[in-house]
Amino acid sequence: MKNIQFIKYSKLWLTITTTVMIVSIGLVAILGLKPGIDFTGGSLLEVEFQEALPDVNLVRSYLQEGEHKNAVVQATGDRGLLIRTAFLNEEEHQQLVAGLAEKFGTEKNTVDEKRFETIGSSVSKTLRERAIWAIILVNLGIISYIAYAFRKVSRPVASWKYGAIAIFALIHDVLLVMGVFAILGRYVGTEVDIAFVVALLTVLGYSVNDTIVVFDRVRENLLHHKADTFGETVNFGLNQTIMRSINTTLTTLLPLLALYFIGGETIKNFSLALLIGIASGAYSSIFIASPLLAVVERWQVRRLAKA
Amino acid sequence: MQKNKYAKPATKGITRAQLRWRTLGVLFLLVVSLLVILPTYANRGINWVNNKTNLGVPTLPAKGFNLGLDLQGGAHLIYKANTEQIPSDQQADAVEGVRDVIERRVRGGLGVSEPLVQTNQVGSEHRIIVELPGVTDVKQAISMIGETPVLEFKEENNTPARDLTKEEKKQLEDFNKAADKKAREALAETKKGKDFSELVNKYSDDESAIKEKGGNIGFVTADNAPELYKWATGKKVNEVSRVTVKNSEGNNILKKLSERDGEKKVTASHLLLCFEGATGCDDPKYKKEEAKAKIDEIKSQATIQNFRDLVKQYTTEPGGADRNGELGTFSKGQMVPEFEKVAFEMPNNSISEVVETQFGYHLIYKYGEETPKEYELARILARTKTEADILPPADQWKNTGLSGKQLQRAEVVEDQQTSQIQVSLNFNDEGSKLFGEITGRNVGKQVAIFLDGEPLSTPVVNEAITSGSAVISGGFTFQEAKLLAQRLNSGALPVSVELISQQTVDATLGNDSLQKSFKAGMIGLIAVMLFMIFYYRLPGLISVASLIVYASITLALSKLLGVTLTLSGIAGFILSIGMAVDANVLVFERLKEELRLGKSLKVAIEEAFVRAWSSIRDGNITTLISCVFLIWFGTGFIQGFAVTLGLGILVSMLTAFVFSRIIARLVFGWMPEKGNWLLVGYKTDNSAVTETIVNK
Repeated sequence: MKNIQFIKYSKLWLTITTTVMIVSIGLVAILGLKPGIDFTGGSLLEVEFQEALPDVNLVRSYLQEGEHKNAVVQATGDRGLLIRTAFLNEEEHQQLVAGLAEKFGTEKNTVDEKRFETIGSSVSKTLRERAIWAIILVNLGIISYIAYAFRKVSRPVASWKYGAIAIFALIHDVLLVMGVFAILGRYVGTEVDIAFVVALLTVLGYSVNDTIVVFDRVRENLLHHKADTFGETVNFGLNQTIMRSINTTLTTLLPLLALYFIGGETIKNFSLALLIGIASGAYSSIFIASPLLAVVERWQVRRLAKA
Repeated sequence: MQKNKYAKPATKGITRAQLRWRTLGVLFLLVVSLLVILPTYANRGINWVNNKTNLGVPTLPAKGFNLGLDLQGGAHLIYKANTEQIPSDQQADAVEGVRDVIERRVRGGLGVSEPLVQTNQVGSEHRIIVELPGVTDVKQAISMIGETPVLEFKEENNTPARDLTKEEKKQLEDFNKAADKKAREALAETKKGKDFSELVNKYSDDESAIKEKGGNIGFVTADNAPELYKWATGKKVNEVSRVTVKNSEGNNILKKLSERDGEKKVTASHLLLCFEGATGCDDPKYKKEEAKAKIDEIKSQATIQNFRDLVKQYTTEPGGADRNGELGTFSKGQMVPEFEKVAFEMPNNSISEVVETQFGYHLIYKYGEETPKEYELARILARTKTEADILPPADQWKNTGLSGKQLQRAEVVEDQQTSQIQVSLNFNDEGSKLFGEITGRNVGKQVAIFLDGEPLSTPVVNEAITSGSAVISGGFTFQEAKLLAQRLNSGALPVSVELISQQTVDATLGNDSLQKSFKAGMIGLIAVMLFMIFYYRLPGLISVASLIVYASITLALSKLLGVTLTLSGIAGFILSIGMAVDANVLVFERLKEELRLGKSLKVAIEEAFVRAWSSIRDGNITTLISCVFLIWFGTGFIQGFAVTLGLGILVSMLTAFVFSRIIARLVFGWMPEKGNWLLVGYKTDNSAVTETIVNK
């Protein structure tokens, strides 16, 4: 078994991490995430033309010159159109569909409604509130579990520090996903909806899982005195678990890749968020959590030496 | 992290025989799961067996998976109930009524077999969530749901469907002539002094338990049998009628058996001052204290002579001034209790003190009081027919013009004397008048109450009810009465609903999503299996076996537990495949290490399972925490995902840890002590160990 020197390059990894995090924060702050109708209210209509899609620009100008000034029109698939507008009641919805059929449909090239979602402001408010509650509670749950899981590890690094490091790695993963979606939102119009929040919360659980496995091994090695210094113990633990981390991540990413590429449009963004988050979760437990653990211990030693 | 409690390999005590049994157990679970997932194939087999033998093995229910709206197409609608007009303590009931109306409509009118209609309160806003799986015409569904419920009172229809033919007329005439003849014969025999009850047995057509009782039909009143009552008035006890008495049933020969005092009846008029907050006070003139002061003032001037003028001048009862406040003749049980008590106890020809009821303050002028007699009669009935008996009407019920608009409120009440559960109805003025007329002409018959064209209740009218309040009794349980009252109220106090959110998925799009995500799941599963076999060789194969068991059990469980499979649910399932393998990966990586340390295969595999456990547990728990909160707070998308992911994780802990271990123990028993090329790491790699330990 090879012994790769991860800890030796701790500073490099942490520099990269800090950069990624700062860039992500910057992207989210400057570009912002594009909220979907789940959170803002509004309508999403998907229609399919039986034969051929009309010019998307024509449809857009037709809608925008009519009653839907803020309409966003996108082609989807070969013959599909996605139209986003403000909240529509049933009458307005039927008018919109009938209008499209009249203007762009022909006898053969009929317009079929595939999907329609409309969310009023009070419902989107409920969804927003629920999402926030879910985020808060999942975080509290995970933090409590970390505190519980690491309660017996105290030397040489205090147990709460393991927890704090795990959370730091987790923040990195979430920020990275958000950063990517900020870019996608700006340039491809990808929206952030309930599914995105769910993906983030799943990434939270997953990222912590990975970190815990590595730390668990470090803890075991500390008990058995496998190496002389703390840094080496961490490095040894990392080497023992790295194949597991890679393989587990691969076996999780494989089905997700299948879902992303052939699972259909509706689930695409959701699988993408999971893909990025889970890959990042494996990365962060190796290149962020473990080096940080070693660095924290070195700081402690130095402070003790000064005192 | 907890210290491992099982430091020693645990194969001790497990014999090969036991292992084989356990393996059979796993196989059995796999077969059962597959049967649950694919009942059609299983049933084909069972039918084959049944054909060959006569075992009579029962077939499995061929139920498919519960597919969510996004996979089978359908609509998810959220309505806001406009309850602003309704007092806050009645809102929840009113919304429940609307929910019931919507559910009846979507089941009946749209034929959606498994709709989900729920109420939900967010802050002070009442919502109704309607899920219509598989509905094709969403437009129609929405317009049907949005309609205001129609409540109608109908009476029996006696008009024949068409004019009678000559033959039918003749038939009717002949029948009635025969009845007349029979009545005359019976009458002649009574005049000869024959025993009345014997004649009843010989002649009477009144089947309803009368013959055994000597034709006794009990006590009659002027309300329930006017013709018979009229005859009995002034007759002596034991007197037999000298002529036949005709009524709607036919020709009667009567014998008066006894008489008694009936219920007391009172005739009165009243003056009402309603105040803010009183029932039915739509346009309050007074606050409560003001009304009290005013009515006291009126009372001080009121005399029998000027009472009618005072009513005309002051009463706030809608339409009361035109009727001079007349209430007509009423008996007990028709008025609210406070009113009734005073009206029945006060002396006749006087004006009462001020009475307070839920409607406001009343002054009562009582000018009639009587206790009519009731007569116990026996009869011989020669039944006659009407046109409707020969030719039934086209429609059993006909409209009366009385509808939910004239019904003010329905409530569950308990009868004070019998403590029977009843549903009370209160009509407005117009409704009281109509209801009085309807009940007046339908005494002894049914009056049906229809909601959206479906009969809710078809009570029999006991007497004419002119007071505008009635009760329906009929051995209700509280729940039944509550449901009936809710349904009546949904027509009386219609709560309009407003569509605030809609999610509609076309069935073809749903099916497309199902196909694609299923395919993605399969490809993902196969990719994972291939990876495991290539990377871990024999242990990889074991993990594939337990992965198959895992997938089967999870699918079978979600079917048995009735989990609704949504697109997000399938995503959760796909994600859990990866997590299921994680446990195996942890164990196999550990196995590799143990083997490299030079341990024997048996020891190594036991160590690997034991040592990997804490990591498997901790890793899965964090994801489970996420799932639990997501299920708790989520709707739709979130729940579908979290439920299947959570279920998958729980099952994977079982399959990856318990099942894989059983299979591994069994298979490794066939292997040489130190393993062979089928296992990664079978060559003891001492260098790695020493290197890490001495590394500085």
